[in-house]
Amino acid sequence: MALMKREEWQDLVRDVDWTLSYADDDAVFPEWQSGNGKIPREAWSAWEESYKISYPEYVSVQAEKEAAAFAVKAALQRSTIFSSLDEGWKSCAKVHFGGVSLAEYTAFMAEARMARFGLAAPWRNMAVLGALDEIRHCQLSLFFAHEFVSKDPQYDWALKAFHTNDWAIVSARSLFDAMMVAGNVVDTAIQLPLVFETGFTNLQFVGLASDALASGDINFANMISSVQTDEARHAQQGGPTLELLMKHDPVRAQWIVDKMFWLSARVFAVLTGPAMDYYTPLDHRKQSYKEFMEEWIIGQFIRTLQDYGLKKPWYWEEFIEGLDIWHHSLHLGVWFWRQTVWWKPQAGVSKAERNWLNMKYPKWEEIYGPIWDQIIVNVNCGNMQATLPETVPWLCNACHLPLCTYTSSPDGKYRVRDFPLMHNNYTYHFCSKVCRQIWWEDRDMLHVKTIGERLLAGEIQPDDFSGILQYMGLTPDVMGDDAYGYKWAADYREPLGPKSSHPRPNSTRRREGVPSEALSIPINAKFGDDFVMHLVVVNTSDTMTEVAQRVAYHSVGKRVRPQDRAMVVYYEGRAVADDESVSQVGIGPFQQIFVDYASDSRGGR
Amino acid sequence: MENAVGPVLRMCDEVESVVRAIQDDNPADLEIVDRGAYVRVQRQGFLRVTRGSLERHLGAGFQMSRLESIMSAFAGRIRTSSDEIVWYLQGAGIPSEERPR
Repeated sequence: MALMKREEWQDLVRDVDWTLSYADDDAVFPEWQSGNGKIPREAWSAWEESYKISYPEYVSVQAEKEAAAFAVKAALQRSTIFSSLDEGWKSCAKVHFGGVSLAEYTAFMAEARMARFGLAAPWRNMAVLGALDEIRHCQLSLFFAHEFVSKDPQYDWALKAFHTNDWAIVSARSLFDAMMVAGNVVDTAIQLPLVFETGFTNLQFVGLASDALASGDINFANMISSVQTDEARHAQQGGPTLELLMKHDPVRAQWIVDKMFWLSARVFAVLTGPAMDYYTPLDHRKQSYKEFMEEWIIGQFIRTLQDYGLKKPWYWEEFIEGLDIWHHSLHLGVWFWRQTVWWKPQAGVSKAERNWLNMKYPKWEEIYGPIWDQIIVNVNCGNMQATLPETVPWLCNACHLPLCTYTSSPDGKYRVRDFPLMHNNYTYHFCSKVCRQIWWEDRDMLHVKTIGERLLAGEIQPDDFSGILQYMGLTPDVMGDDAYGYKWAADYREPLGPKSSHPRPNSTRRREGVPSEALSIPINAKFGDDFVMHLVVVNTSDTMTEVAQRVAYHSVGKRVRPQDRAMVVYYEGRAVADDESVSQVGIGPFQQIFVDYASDSRGGR
Repeated sequence: MENAVGPVLRMCDEVESVVRAIQDDNPADLEIVDRGAYVRVQRQGFLRVTRGSLERHLGAGFQMSRLESIMSAFAGRIRTSSDEIVWYLQGAGIPSEERPR
């Protein structure tokens, strides 16, 4: 018997709205969940999905996808492919499993909320299928990772990661909570299906699949590209919702897209950027992260947004400049703080890899070369202590990533800047003007405390680096180390510069002999051309000479080449006299200072 | 390619057949980008694939919904029916005879 075509009956069966008589519409679809805003209630009847599918079709197609994914897994489980995979590539998979598996579960909650509170019946129908999709993705990610747990405990973080306070997870959780569960469902439909799934997840699930396949990880490539076939469908909930919002409240539409685009781009710079440009073995890289971003985000996604009448985000130039910067800085941070992650970051700076980086990113050598050179000197001298951190980077109050974003200056030099904001007598710090603006506008949604703030509030004990690792859930069998055991540094056996030296250690705790009225205060400090700002504890009685030493301790000889010159402290843009104390200068807790070697003329920074 | 629209097909046995079906339906100006794990099939502003072409290359009785398991992503907007799928951009100056119905 011939079946009727779907379009001959679907309009009838999917229209399950009816006029409520036992309850008020507002009670069933409260504004705080349904997010109607300026859209007239009756306008929702025009909502029409562009990607249509019936439930029987859904079941049939999903069964086919599952059978295909599991058939490949079953076939490869008996092979020795896993043992031959490159350690750097395995880190790509570990980052993915830990960072994505339970984000898929959070996405299920978002879909379930849209299935309940969406104001159009066809939308709720699509969201039901979307919720089933996300359960599938969560289960696939957990199941595929589980196979390797007995071989490598870092794979156990597929399930564990989101239950810890690891800094990378705090950043991801802050984003996904704001994107998927903290807002009403109209905001959610723009943030998750439209911005995240039509745009960014393509990069991780399709772009990275090409690196995975080239690296020989057929199973992983097959799984993630299968997942994305679901996304391609249920992401289409965003389009019709955006059309309504553009008609009735375009300002709100633009703001939601702009905000979530930026925050997603920040997290992808640490999730996907290092995987593509550093962890994937050089011979297997299909394109650079920047090229994948240009293909998927700039070429494909932004063009579609413009088709809906949206403008490019107001920060477009900063975003484009960031494609050459963000993920390189974040990779450097992940490698240096490698004990704080559940994978083994591959440094990715052998001579051949460095040539590739310089070819893809012409500014790389100028900005990052000297920092890696100092690290390489330390590795080759066996001074491993100098390649490890003793404090935490200062983290952005919006994206929760370290303050390590270089931006260009009028003199052509790239510098890392702090973007502070005083609010209710408290100084917040941001990696960029854009993060600061987003936080200010939406601070009710983005109020997770950074790891640094938790440390300073006494929530992390003991309040030293060992306590921080413990707080993040990192145990010695899991905490990251260099993927190749530092063998890549052998490329540079000829010394690159002066032998490693390190300033005299000075404890961040109160020293003996400090006047009893002196207080220890945390400040946000950066040294010279180093790539990141640190949390440094100083005493109010410290002179600027002592403050400079405390700040230099975390950078000079570690990532900044030592020089035989005096150091200068800059505060509020001016150089401060060496013999002035912290209290005399008026430097307070959470304030930012900059320290550098003295130049011939002391100018403000 | 400016205003590129079209499917991104994942690695699977049917990719070549789907590409041939799309070629049948869009004889002119088609671009194919092969990145190993995925293949972009794209055209400026408008691209269509019909069930008739897919049946010719993949066998009689091919259901359009099955294309989903092969398509990881797509560029542009989409409109699906039992007989065809079209990808398009409204602002790309599509000839009237090619506008999605």
